[in-house]
Amino acid sequence: MTEYQLLIQRYDPEHDNEPRLQRFTVPGDHTTSMLDALLYVQQKLDVTLGLRWSCRMAICGSCGVMVNGIPKLGCKTFLRDYHSEIVIEPLAHFAVEKDLIVDMTQFLAHLSAIKPYLINDYSGTAMHKQTPAQLAKYQQFSNCINCGLCYSACPQFGLNPEFLGPAAITLAQRYNLDSRDNGKAARMPQLNGKNGAWGCTFVGFCSDVCPKQLDPAAAVNQAKVESAKDFIISMFKP
Amino acid sequence: MSSPKRSDEPVWWSLFSAGGVCFAVFLPGLILALGILWPLGLLNSSVLQYAQLLSLLQSGYGLTGLAFTGAVICLPLFHAAHRIHHGLHDLKCGYSSATKLLCYGTAGLLSVLALYFTLSLLLKY
Repeated sequence: MTEYQLLIQRYDPEHDNEPRLQRFTVPGDHTTSMLDALLYVQQKLDVTLGLRWSCRMAICGSCGVMVNGIPKLGCKTFLRDYHSEIVIEPLAHFAVEKDLIVDMTQFLAHLSAIKPYLINDYSGTAMHKQTPAQLAKYQQFSNCINCGLCYSACPQFGLNPEFLGPAAITLAQRYNLDSRDNGKAARMPQLNGKNGAWGCTFVGFCSDVCPKQLDPAAAVNQAKVESAKDFIISMFKP
Repeated sequence: MSSPKRSDEPVWWSLFSAGGVCFAVFLPGLILALGILWPLGLLNSSVLQYAQLLSLLQSGYGLTGLAFTGAVICLPLFHAAHRIHHGLHDLKCGYSSATKLLCYGTAGLLSVLALYFTLSLLLKY
């Protein structure tokens, strides 16, 4: 067992004037994840520490935090990869509810704005059929777990919270590329706006931090091409 | 969320993308030829003399000359203007429709001048 120094940001908006860093010493070995360490703090050292978590295996997307300034999933980040002090803060660019818990309301509003579901007029009961090639077009983008790390990584979302952001635009692409879907026309107006695909300047950090490696920056750039095509087509429409 | 207004960004982004491609494809070769090899005397300089180039432009390579100007001057200008305009936003430094007009206006004006000079050479007797 090695001892690690965690500096955890504490903030309770109802009582504190500003956030502060609190030091905790936690034991860990090569299997101890950042989430394990945070749960150790909560269960053994300070029961008032607020954090959000659920599955412990990078499926639920709940335990996103900033680790030394980089957005990470707590359960997928390990103490063994850090040597000196580890600074743990709530996800950047979101309002803090308490300690490491952030308010995801705006993120969820952006996701729902792009109509993230199959839109078609199919009412039969038979299964949809898709070829492997049709599946491959969107499958990568369908692996998003809505953890919000890409929003913490995105400087444009930090500057402009109205920007739809990487996950929402990736989700729009995921459905626009699906052969079972006919809802592209309903999604394009959101992507065509200045806060849609055009709010992105292709920094690409979203793709670096994505715990599912689904390359949101590529999806956003594809959405730009789609929006540019939509722009040209609209010029020829009455 | 209501339907947002369509952005005019596709126009500028298309010019930016095309400019980026031209920057990457043509400019390195051009810098190597005109910026390094020619000053070092490693190129047959008679090829690049005014009279040679003028006769080349006027003997069926006029459109190629115009395309060359577009590819190495006009489109890269729009590429640079786009970067500067969005850089101002990132730096929170006066990003507005005025800076947009200034950036793309400068790129447009310099492009028109470059094309004008190429055309005037083309049509020169």
